[in-house]
This record gives sequence, structure tokens and C-alpha cells, in this order.
Amino acid sequence: MHHDPTFWLLARASGLAAYTVLTLSVLAGLVLKSRPFRRLRPATVTDVHRTLALTGIGALVLHAASLVLDTTVKVSLAALVVPGLVAYRPAAVAAGVVAGWLFVVITASFSLRKRIGVRVWRRLHWFTYALFGLATIHGITAGTDATQPWARGLYLGALGSVVAATAWRALVPPARKERTA
Amino acid sequence: MSRYCITIDAGECIGYGRCVDLAPELFVLDGGTATVVTAETDDPAALDAASECPMDAIVVIEQAAA
Repeated sequence: MHHDPTFWLLARASGLAAYTVLTLSVLAGLVLKSRPFRRLRPATVTDVHRTLALTGIGALVLHAASLVLDTTVKVSLAALVVPGLVAYRPAAVAAGVVAGWLFVVITASFSLRKRIGVRVWRRLHWFTYALFGLATIHGITAGTDATQPWARGLYLGALGSVVAATAWRALVPPARKERTA
Repeated sequence: MSRYCITIDAGECIGYGRCVDLAPELFVLDGGTATVVTAETDDPAALDAASECPMDAIVVIEQAAA
């Protein structure tokens, strides 16, 4: 029987897109925190950070839906939310399921911050590092394209930039704005 | 010299603390979010705190001194 690769290609492309946008959102969050570019208005960076996170959720939904619709790898609806139900590279896919959960919970927690309290929201936000780590592991170990030179470049670039921005956050105190008037 | 009236939109504040870093005499973190200690001041740090708030939660109204 002829196999239509549309959803399989879509699953791969949307997975890479979700990872790329997640990385950009993490970087925007770190830029907001440590202010390496002093001319950027923090509220604008917050908007960019949130928009990127929501865009990433959109790509994640597309990734999940196309995996269910595709027949190359059998993924049930339940397998999207319960880690370990996919026979194909189970640990690698489970890392992606947990990363997906974290992505959704951390992004949704912003809208729920009044109900859960800003302190809980801030603590939850630390799990972004786990989310990014799991998403990176998932991409490298489950991704069909992970051995391609461009994909390696993407993962190395994402990992390198997030590690560098985190080091900056940890080591360089945020610049104080100098009053000119 | 101008006077600045400061208010915080409590619903928007996420307790980031940038205002407290920039103007510790005007703001304090209380229960996870920022509150105004001095609602009226002539300290221009109030403007810095407003422009650096990541949530645009601080409103400063500048009044020309009489």
C-alpha cells in the first residue's frame, strides 16, 4: 500500500520548529533576566518571550497531531500524554512527552499565576531548564533528521546559546540604567 | 523639580523585583509582589522603575511642581 509521507514530514518539521521556537523563547527569557542589551525595553522583551512560547505550543500541537495522523510510527492519543506508550525508541519519545507536558504547564502557568500565586509561578519557571534539556535529548535521540549536519548545527547552536546565556545570567549582574537627564 | 505619583497594577505585577533593585526607597517586595512604599516622591528613579518593569505594571504620573 502506498504510504503518504505528508504527516510524517509534518511531524518532523513541526518538531524541529517547536524546538527552535522554544529555544528562542528561552533566550528571550534569559535576555529579559540578565539585560545584556540595555536598549531593549523589558516589557517588549516580555511580549516577545510570551509570543514565542505560545508559538512553540502551536508547533507542539501540530507535532503531536501529525504524529497521531501519521502511520510510520504508531502513536495513539493516550501516548501523547502518557510517557512510555510508544514502541519506537521508547525512552527518547518519553523524554519528548515529559518535555511537552512541561512546555504546556509552564506556559499555561503564566495565565494562572493569580490563582496559583506568583511565587509558585516563579518556582515552576525554573523547570524550563528541565524542559529545554529534555527537548534537546528528545530531538537528538528520537529525531529522524538528528544525524544530518544541519540538524546537528541546530542542536549544538541551541544548546550552546542557552548555556552561554545561562552563564551570563549567573555571572554578570544586570546592568543598572544610567540616568542621563 | 517634578513630583511623581506612583501606583502599581497589582494584577499585573509578577514580583520580578526590578523596581526594588532600581528604587529600593520607593518599592518593596511583599508577599511575592511589589508594593509602593512612597506613593509620592521627587525621586526620578520612579521613572526608571516604570520603564524597566517587565510587565508595565508601574504607572508614574508626573506633576509639575507648583
